[in-house]
Amino acid sequence: MAVRLREVLHGEAARVRLEGVTKRFGPVVAVDDVTLEIAPGTLVTLLGPSGCGKTTTLRIIAGLEHPSGGRVFIGDEDVTPLPAANRSVTMVFQAYALFPHLTVFENVAYGLRVQRRPEEEIRRRVGEVMDLVGLPGLEQRYPAQLSGGQQQRVALARALIMEPRVLLFDEPLSNLDAKLRRRVRADIRALQRQLGITSVYVTHDQAEALAISDVVVVMHQGRIEQIGTPVDLYRRPASRFVADFIGEANLLPAVVEEGAVRVGSYRFAYRQDGVAPGPATLMVRPEAIRVLRDGEGLPGRIRSAFFMGTYADYIVETEVGEVSVADAQSVEAMHGVGQTVTLQFAPSGLYLLPPA
Amino acid sequence: MSGVALAPARPAARVSATLVAWGAVTCLGALLLPWARAGRDLVAFVPQTTGLDLLGRDWPVAAAVVCGALAGMLGGAPLPLFLRGRLALAAGGLGLLATVVSVASRGAPMGPAPVVGVLGFLALVGIGLALGGYIRADAFISVCIVWSAAFVLIFILYPLLAVLQASIVVGGRFTLDVVRETARSPLFLLIDNPNTPQNEWHQALRAGALLTAAAALVALALTRKARPTLLWTAGTAVLGTGLIALYLGFGAVRNSVLLAAVVGVISTGLGFLFALLAERSRLPTRRLFGPVSILPIITPPFVLGLAVIYLFGRRGFVTHQVLGLSTTVFFGPLGVALAQVLAYTPIAFLILQGVVRALDVALEEAAETLGADRWHTLRTVIWPLARPGLANAFLLVAIESLADFGNPIIVGGGKPYLATEVFFSLVGRYNPNEAAVFGLALLAMTLTIFLLQYWWIGRASYVTVTGRPSQGVVRPLPPALDYGVTAIFVVWVLVIVALYGSVAVGSVTKLWGFDYTLTLYNWEKLSPTGWQVFRNTLTLASIAAIPSTVVGFLIGYLVTRYAFPGRGALEFSSMLSFATPGTVMGIGYILAFNQGPLLLTGTELIIILAFVFRNMPVALRAGVAAVLQIDRSLEEASTMLRAGSPVTLRRIVVPLVRGAILAGLVFSFVRAMTAISQVIFLVTPRTSLATTQILSYVNYGTVGLAAALSWVLVVFMSLVIVALYLVNQRLGGRRPGEMPTLAA
Repeated sequence: MAVRLREVLHGEAARVRLEGVTKRFGPVVAVDDVTLEIAPGTLVTLLGPSGCGKTTTLRIIAGLEHPSGGRVFIGDEDVTPLPAANRSVTMVFQAYALFPHLTVFENVAYGLRVQRRPEEEIRRRVGEVMDLVGLPGLEQRYPAQLSGGQQQRVALARALIMEPRVLLFDEPLSNLDAKLRRRVRADIRALQRQLGITSVYVTHDQAEALAISDVVVVMHQGRIEQIGTPVDLYRRPASRFVADFIGEANLLPAVVEEGAVRVGSYRFAYRQDGVAPGPATLMVRPEAIRVLRDGEGLPGRIRSAFFMGTYADYIVETEVGEVSVADAQSVEAMHGVGQTVTLQFAPSGLYLLPPA
Repeated sequence: MSGVALAPARPAARVSATLVAWGAVTCLGALLLPWARAGRDLVAFVPQTTGLDLLGRDWPVAAAVVCGALAGMLGGAPLPLFLRGRLALAAGGLGLLATVVSVASRGAPMGPAPVVGVLGFLALVGIGLALGGYIRADAFISVCIVWSAAFVLIFILYPLLAVLQASIVVGGRFTLDVVRETARSPLFLLIDNPNTPQNEWHQALRAGALLTAAAALVALALTRKARPTLLWTAGTAVLGTGLIALYLGFGAVRNSVLLAAVVGVISTGLGFLFALLAERSRLPTRRLFGPVSILPIITPPFVLGLAVIYLFGRRGFVTHQVLGLSTTVFFGPLGVALAQVLAYTPIAFLILQGVVRALDVALEEAAETLGADRWHTLRTVIWPLARPGLANAFLLVAIESLADFGNPIIVGGGKPYLATEVFFSLVGRYNPNEAAVFGLALLAMTLTIFLLQYWWIGRASYVTVTGRPSQGVVRPLPPALDYGVTAIFVVWVLVIVALYGSVAVGSVTKLWGFDYTLTLYNWEKLSPTGWQVFRNTLTLASIAAIPSTVVGFLIGYLVTRYAFPGRGALEFSSMLSFATPGTVMGIGYILAFNQGPLLLTGTELIIILAFVFRNMPVALRAGVAAVLQIDRSLEEASTMLRAGSPVTLRRIVVPLVRGAILAGLVFSFVRAMTAISQVIFLVTPRTSLATTQILSYVNYGTVGLAAALSWVLVVFMSLVIVALYLVNQRLGGRRPGEMPTLAA
């Protein structure tokens, strides 16, 4: 299959590089000195809360915005002065931006028609790319007659048919319902892997970013907070912001001692390279905490308890503040509100954050 | 991530075909076409004035030719694109300067060479701006921006400046004499009548003081708060005293302002009641609102005035035949007010219908669940929310009333009004400077109102329109209100039918008021002149409608989608021709285009240009509204698929807004067909228009012929509007679910 796909699409996967890219809108700095390199054929996600500059960064790569400073390279070419139309980059838009007055066929064929390709070639390539996204037979429909998932795939087909060197996604799943979103994102990922197209993907949904990416770039207030694989970001966040934004995190005051860490009165063995003894912040993932009736651990009292199906959701009051817990062990026999308990931490969900 | 070697500088880009083409066109145009015309005739050129003939003795012509050639060669020069852009900008700018200098120094009417030269050099400037990176858009958009700006400058701003100039520069010398003389003239404004023993100013002040005191007491009693009481008192003191003074006085300012105030209040009030009725009535009469509301659009300017004379004149059917009176009371402000209320209430209605429709039903439901009855809801919820819309409607009607030319000239009873005095000073007293002062006074008023509306209410009233569909069911009106207002509306419809009917009957009557024998005499007498004029009008209006729509839509698109220096100024100047009364623009065109290189008066071209720039704002507004409905990402998607902006416009934007474009086209056409106030200055016996012909029929006493020609226009334009309606319905219904996806 992969061989045939490469026959369909001839675009060369390209490296994308941003050097000190900055974008100001009046006094607002939307993107602040972003430097980033995206390896050919990988899928990189720009992740962050709204207003963090991720979409602006994407639009700068696309050529839809012009940076106030810095440069954009695609392959070895400095494309900063080039308009969007000349960059060999295509984009899947948030609301798909399918042309409502054109049929699916004409939507997908649009870019080829602009290039005045022969009719026969257009037919062949539209057919191939419609097969590729799994939508054969819908060519004569209008976008309004398609479901959300189908519209999404038409938008993808329209972008792919241009054989782009880079494919951009601007929150492509935000208009789909939760269940469909998981399926479509798996499809996008599978297709991207097969085709090996360099892809930049913008989302504010951290679960989506973790699921789909080779590399995630976490952005905050126009700056890059951390670049890393999904596992890196989850296990070893570089800052409180990343720890808090990726998944849930308890950030507890701790003291690092030789070969151990103390949180309040709870002292346990833990080792992390490159951390000096002294006060620190410990990130504890809620699912890495076990709630016991007694025994060694951080003592506390249950403030609230919710049954969540696969786990029990507790908020526990301790001497170091409130701790949020997702405990899968006690689902069958949940602890009641007001009960005193002790909390034990599993090393897999712990990380000492570098001082801010 | 740094430290990677920078990519090599891009090789000089390929040939810029646009630059080569425009350079060549400009150069060859300047070289081969004649530079001067002999006179008013657009195709009678002065011999021996092509660029080839002038090259040796007229250095600016030579410079223009060279600039064009250089710019063309730049297209293929081995230089970076942005540098070529900057050089093209310089060449275009210098060429433009050379062309203007050459034309100005010659002083003779322009031939085709400078026209091609100016357009060509402007295009080169536009291309230069785009390539040089001064405007973040491609060459096509950039050229469109530069051209639009030039057109607006020449055909909207320059005539207005000419009016200003004529009012303060006489015989080449700056003077305020004309302004002073005109302002002191009783025709303009006279408050203290020297022929009466008392001083009218004192009377006005006394009455104003009384009124103010009364207002203060009432406001205090009602609100019991200091701030609103103070506001009401101050407002009454200024407005009340002013209006009383005007009422006691004489002159065009007095007549026009009082007329605008009265017509504004009545039309807005009726419009609001009718809007409530149209949206909330449970009676079948509400179906009549659609047809009634388009009447003023399709009605030529004199029809209502004519009908008022027919029914209420000295030998009017109602006043004389039915009541046995012989009165001239309807010749004068009363008749004008009647005709204007009939004409402009539908305008207020259309604005306020939008307002009433946008009211969120949920708010009313909330009020009712809190125990308010429907009267209380009307007073405490609907009324406050509708207030900005009411002010908006009042101001727009006031502008229309001030600018109205057709009704005062027919039923004004010889009293002065600002709009007509502009005309009479020029055509009757042959004093262009005095005409300019009258025009300026009128312009100052309409412009003030326009600015108020544009900045203050125009924005405030958009806020309530969220576009979010309300779930609730429309609340019906209280039955008493419903029946009461419906009764008013039925009377209204009967009056309208009587008025239009009287014109129709008048056209087949021997001599209205004296001899009601039916005859086809008037219709037979329409040929040849009447029909010929009608055909001529049809031709000119059709020709003008296309550029009017294209330019208007394009400017609308540019100002909504692109950021460029002067964007606000371009939009505002374009809308300015909307706020400028036709007579003011008319005198402006006479003053601006009557001599020198821009001599155009007496031609059909100037009538077409007047139509184009007068009606362009219609298409502009329609264009802005339609483009705002399209998600910008559709155009971005097209760009990402490597389409340039001309392709994006043609394939994406235009198909999505074609309903609005078609409507813009039709309304530009219809407005041109019914235009009078501006073009009355520009027509010649050879280029007579239907509206001016109706006026001359009235002036020659052949009122039956005027009625017949008016009726031809009414029927023809009703057909056009119905056709537009049907076509738009077909367009809208052709593809399933087209609209919902637009606002994604």
